[in-house]
Amino acid sequence: MTRCGSLLLVLFVATASLAGCATVQPWQRGRLADRCMQFDPDTGRVTYMTHWQESREGSSGGFGVQGGGCGCK
Amino acid sequence: MTGDRSRFVVRRSTFVALIVAYALLPGRAAANRPAPRLELPAIDGTTIRLSDLRGKVVLVDFWASWCIPCKASFPALDGLYRELHPRGLEVLAVNVDERRRDAEAFLAGRSPAMTVLFDPRGATPSAFNVRAMPSSAVIDRAGNIRFTHEGYSNKTLESYRREIATLLAE
Repeated sequence: MTRCGSLLLVLFVATASLAGCATVQPWQRGRLADRCMQFDPDTGRVTYMTHWQESREGSSGGFGVQGGGCGCK
Repeated sequence: MTGDRSRFVVRRSTFVALIVAYALLPGRAAANRPAPRLELPAIDGTTIRLSDLRGKVVLVDFWASWCIPCKASFPALDGLYRELHPRGLEVLAVNVDERRRDAEAFLAGRSPAMTVLFDPRGATPSAFNVRAMPSSAVIDRAGNIRFTHEGYSNKTLESYRREIATLLAE
């Protein structure tokens, strides 16, 4: 494949993958908030585990957002 | 010297322009603007129009069955409605669930006195520029949005009381 062809292929893949991006509005997050969309549906257990892991390791964050993506502040 | 002065003027103008642009960004300074059109079906099938409520203080609240804070805000707003409706308050609780049965499951066992409306397509929250759930707008007797809230806590309820009292007194 020529260099130009490779470049075109990369551009095509990059452009095609853009179609997979979508902005989910706050009122459209019902599906994201569904239990089946959670890594761990038991939010209480996750909160507890996160708490003791953070206190043991002196770290925080990196566990994603809990609460089902309802867009609550 | 003149060059320094003109550079200072340019910098100052840019600074002021940036502040003005920030204030005019969509979603900011949302309060004190005419409320968008709202025309939605209620539980009993009747159509409710915000324009028909002109002359009253209206609180429009956007809620969903999957929104955790809505479980606290929904009964609180209904209580506020029961208390202040005789003085001229209307509360429109707009449900934005995509599936009606989710909303009905939430409402089962609750008997809200406030008006519950359904907007599964989300046209109204878009028009009201909703950026979080729950969100609400307090509208004065002239039909202008005077206060907006994102999220819900006990402090929000205190704010509602203060703001609604102000608007009812106008």
